[in-house]
Amino acid sequence: MNPKEYKYTEEHEWICPEGGDRGKAGLTDYAQTQLGDLVYLDLPEPGTEVEQFKKMAEIESVKAVADFFAPASGKVIEVNQDAIDDPAVVNQDPYGEGWLVELELSKPSELDALMDSDKYDNFVAELEAEAEEEEPEEKEG
Amino acid sequence: MSLLKKTPLNKVHHDLKAKMMDFAGWELPVWYTSILEEHRAVRSGAGIFDVSDMGRVWVTGKNAGAFLDRVLTKSAQQLEIGGAQLCLLCLENGGILDDLWVYRVGTERYLIVWNAANVEQKLDWLSRWSGQASDVIIDDESPNTVMVAVQGPTVHQLENLRSISHLPRFGHTQTEIGELNVFLARTGYTGEDGFEIISDAANASSLWESFTERGVKPCGLGARDILRLEAGMMLCGQDMDTDTNPFEAGLGWLVDLDKGDFVGKKALLEIKRRGIKRKFIGFQMKGREIARSGYIIFHSGEEVGRVTSGGYAPTLGVNIGLGYVPIELAVIGTDIEIMIRNKPVAAQVVNKRFYRRGA
Repeated sequence: MNPKEYKYTEEHEWICPEGGDRGKAGLTDYAQTQLGDLVYLDLPEPGTEVEQFKKMAEIESVKAVADFFAPASGKVIEVNQDAIDDPAVVNQDPYGEGWLVELELSKPSELDALMDSDKYDNFVAELEAEAEEEEPEEKEG
Repeated sequence: MSLLKKTPLNKVHHDLKAKMMDFAGWELPVWYTSILEEHRAVRSGAGIFDVSDMGRVWVTGKNAGAFLDRVLTKSAQQLEIGGAQLCLLCLENGGILDDLWVYRVGTERYLIVWNAANVEQKLDWLSRWSGQASDVIIDDESPNTVMVAVQGPTVHQLENLRSISHLPRFGHTQTEIGELNVFLARTGYTGEDGFEIISDAANASSLWESFTERGVKPCGLGARDILRLEAGMMLCGQDMDTDTNPFEAGLGWLVDLDKGDFVGKKALLEIKRRGIKRKFIGFQMKGREIARSGYIIFHSGEEVGRVTSGGYAPTLGVNIGLGYVPIELAVIGTDIEIMIRNKPVAAQVVNKRFYRRGA
């Protein structure tokens, strides 16, 4: 399940608060399941300033291109080179080895606005229930 | 709310917890477990696809062959019984309405298998031209039937297909699989050996399970798309359409200008005489960025064309694509750039049959 100590966005990013106003961020398990096999990560260079909920990266699966939004504002201090080299690690271990970026948070209080794991569990459960009822609307050329 | 058409295997897909998508108005699986796993199964073993979205239309009657010769770019009447060919349905201006397989099943019996898109438009088109001929019956059997493709290098070893393993490439026959009556052809859309099989809709799940219980892996549209892309096979409506002529699409080999008059012949002769300005090419990305359908192709800083299909090619471990460029750039080895995230990214024109089995 989704780790208890992480915080989650409605766009299915997670951030794991660490000491010193830092946090690693990545894609949730739900997101990687929806996207399928990942094949390319377009991550920002270390040093890039990002703003909460603004697009900061693109994630590509075999089938689709998805935007990755910053779960919090701050500066990119590290990107996961292992995940860039082999994006399958994000599918295999989205909350661990498959982290994407490490951020130095400029406004740590922003995390209070994100979902905790219980809320996010419910959020995903509702999406899955809706998907069961609805027909897919995704289009293929 | 979207009202998607469901194939006779729809429940089977849902029971397998497939991720479903809308493909040309049909609810179909994009994958069951993983596109890459399903792709691998077809390149190294055997996979099964629900291709019931494709149209199955019988054309019969005394003038069936003459009628088909009037609307298709190659002669159906010249096929032997048991033979089949790929050909095009062109508009009067030479634009491509569809590519399709025509199977000659009897003296006056032909089966057409065409793409899922624009079925109403295509049926209207056939009726319009058959209105001028007597003794032609056009019967769309798609709603009453199921169609699956069983593809991969080990398919011919399957016990339930052993009796027809002698069938030549593109050959077809009416036969039985277990106790099910089927029409079966040695054709496909993956670049591998394999069969496409049509049966009554009522047989859908029995037919499917007769393969899956022998270890054939269920495969979705995601795998189908990258398999055909690796083999350089075109998707009508995406890689060519009514604004594309067969010569620029590299499909001149499907057009027989020496046969009698047919719809589009006059325009195609004129296009051939004038020469084409752009050409369909394959390209390979030099780096890891992925070109996708709709991205713009540049050369020396100028926009020169558009990507029609693109993606990751697992068999080759590189990123590949298809698209159109001016004829002078359609030369293997030419450097081009694909605009990805507002940056020109290096690519090179290569042979569009990226993957060949046994190669």
